Amino acid sequence: MSIMQIMEHSVVVRELVKTYGTQKAVKGVSFEIGMAEIFGLIGPNGAGKTTILRVISTLLQITSGSVNVFEYDISRDASDVRKLISYLPEEAGAYKNLTGKGYLEFIASFYSTNTADKIKMVNRGIEIAQLGKRIDDKSSTYSKGMTRRLLVARALMVNPKLAILDEPTSGLDVINSQEIRGLIKEFVENKGTVLLSSHNMLEIELLCDRIALINDGLILEIGTPEELKLKYKARNIEEVFVSVVK
Amino acid sequence: MNDSTSRGSRDFKGGGVSPLPLMNHLYTIIKKEVKELLTKELMMSLVFMAVFFVFMGKMMRSVEKESEKINISILDLDSTQYLQNILSLVGSKEIKVNIIDAKDVKSAIGKAKADSTTVLLVIPNGFNSKLMKMEKVEIEMYSIMKGLSMTETISSAMIKSIVDAINKSIASTFIQRLAPDKKAEDVLTPIVTKDFVVIKDKTLPGTPAMITAITTSQSMIIPLILMMVIMYAGMMIMTSMGQEKETKTLETLLTLPVSRMCIIGGKMVGSAIVAFVMTVIYMIGFKYYMSPMSELPKLAVSMKEFGISMTPLGYLLLGIALFLAILVALSICIVLGVFTQDAKSAQTMTYPLSMIVLIPFMLTMFKDIETLPMGLKILVYAIPFSHPMMASKFLIFHNYLPVIYGMIYMAIFTGFTIWIGAKIFSTDKVLTAKLALTKKITLWKK
Repeated sequence: MSIMQIMEHSVVVRELVKTYGTQKAVKGVSFEIGMAEIFGLIGPNGAGKTTILRVISTLLQITSGSVNVFEYDISRDASDVRKLISYLPEEAGAYKNLTGKGYLEFIASFYSTNTADKIKMVNRGIEIAQLGKRIDDKSSTYSKGMTRRLLVARALMVNPKLAILDEPTSGLDVINSQEIRGLIKEFVENKGTVLLSSHNMLEIELLCDRIALINDGLILEIGTPEELKLKYKARNIEEVFVSVVK
Repeated sequence: MNDSTSRGSRDFKGGGVSPLPLMNHLYTIIKKEVKELLTKELMMSLVFMAVFFVFMGKMMRSVEKESEKINISILDLDSTQYLQNILSLVGSKEIKVNIIDAKDVKSAIGKAKADSTTVLLVIPNGFNSKLMKMEKVEIEMYSIMKGLSMTETISSAMIKSIVDAINKSIASTFIQRLAPDKKAEDVLTPIVTKDFVVIKDKTLPGTPAMITAITTSQSMIIPLILMMVIMYAGMMIMTSMGQEKETKTLETLLTLPVSRMCIIGGKMVGSAIVAFVMTVIYMIGFKYYMSPMSELPKLAVSMKEFGISMTPLGYLLLGIALFLAILVALSICIVLGVFTQDAKSAQTMTYPLSMIVLIPFMLTMFKDIETLPMGLKILVYAIPFSHPMMASKFLIFHNYLPVIYGMIYMAIFTGFTIWIGAKIFSTDKVLTAKLALTKKITLWKK
């Protein structure tokens, strides 16, 4: 992998393989994500999407291949990578005995030692979460949708260089989903990069600059939604997906 | 690509993080741990437990007081007041003597029951005349049991001591009659002992029982506190890990810009703080419960004169040993915690730790480790928790070396276990440990 490639992209994945024991979850995938780009991974359950996101988030170790996040190699410089990313897992929760605001303050403490910066971050989080007075209630009293909004707020308030979002609108209603999509677009307009995975094909089509179709641990197609629709003579990404998987 | 070592080493150096943020991160995690673990529900259950012990202590005291009161009823078929007079001499203010007017034993028992009598003594006809002839007399004694409680056992012991006192009083009267120039006490107990105890190079008055009673009480409380702190601390850190997995917060925590060592350290310190609070509350209640049973025998000389008291250095070493033992427990539990999946499974994972703690606790309480067979002795010494439990016994004899060796062993053990924990945390085992474990169990079942 050349230095130029790394410099031009926020994420560069080369021949990534990840196995759990004898089970091969990711079978050698390669892709790159540009600067301030929204890159989507779509595929059926068990295709390997979450594994790829977890690897890039420094949670899982690579079996073989390489992953670079900005100038850092995730195997060698995991702690540096963690300063640049923010990961929102699909099934995430908040600490039960902390209030929504307490949780945001807890997260902010790791991103700045400056009190003014931390307050700014938390206020941004409160604004994104839109929980009103409930932000001062314990997170154990929140509905699934409220918890998800808090977690999205947590992921975006720290203004990461790369936001890794696994099913960001999971559990949210139409209105909330639309708001979150708006926030993601706003985040990218401010030079942030997003890697997301979703089952929601419409969401992917609306949000992503480029998408990768993944099945059984392999990337089958990569391109912009328009390119893919044209190639497979499809009206939408759902039809592209069905054609590619078949 | 084998990346665990390189990535792990970078993680534990803090990734270039300066000490100030490192301390801030540690403080943030400790604060979060305490908030998550020290819940209202936990505090309520602890306070309830402490109140329960206070209540039990009060009840025990009242039971003991109650058992000291004895109502003796006498059916005097001989119509003499001999026994009554003796009882008034040997009795205390807790003994109430009641003369029953009845024709036979059956009706006397009925009346005795109505009078809440503890024991009914039936003095047979001819009792006085036989005594005058210095012949053995049999009196019937009916203990009236109201239930099967501990009070009944204590009452029986009291009655026996009263009967012994009656016998002694009558025997003294006989001796006085047969040998008026002799002291009845000298004839009844011709040999008395004057006890001395030799410890190290000192000989001082007292009995070994008195010394061991004091040293045992001193060396029992420390293992007890230690056992509780260890079990609570272990339970807390594993609950913390279980909760992180159950509420799906662990993945987020592990992707934050905070070193793994900070996470481990924060969890260990946070759990230790909560365990300490729990132990203090528990011990306050427990002390109140134990206080009537823990009265020590009074010695003619102080323990200091025996040279078996705790010195300031002894207390310092004991404190360090206890601290190290807590670190050992926490380090073991952080490794075990990786395999927990939720708060419930965390409770189950504390059982192995409980067993490891209980072995030295029970052995140090009832046996001297040095008297154990070699195999068992090695096992006990290999358990790190044995050392602080034995420490107080060594320290009161100013024998510091075994305690220091124990401390070195615990420090090495902790360092090694934390290193294993750190290694696990720097890999994805912390997230996938269950997968491997479940798979192994499934294969084993097949």
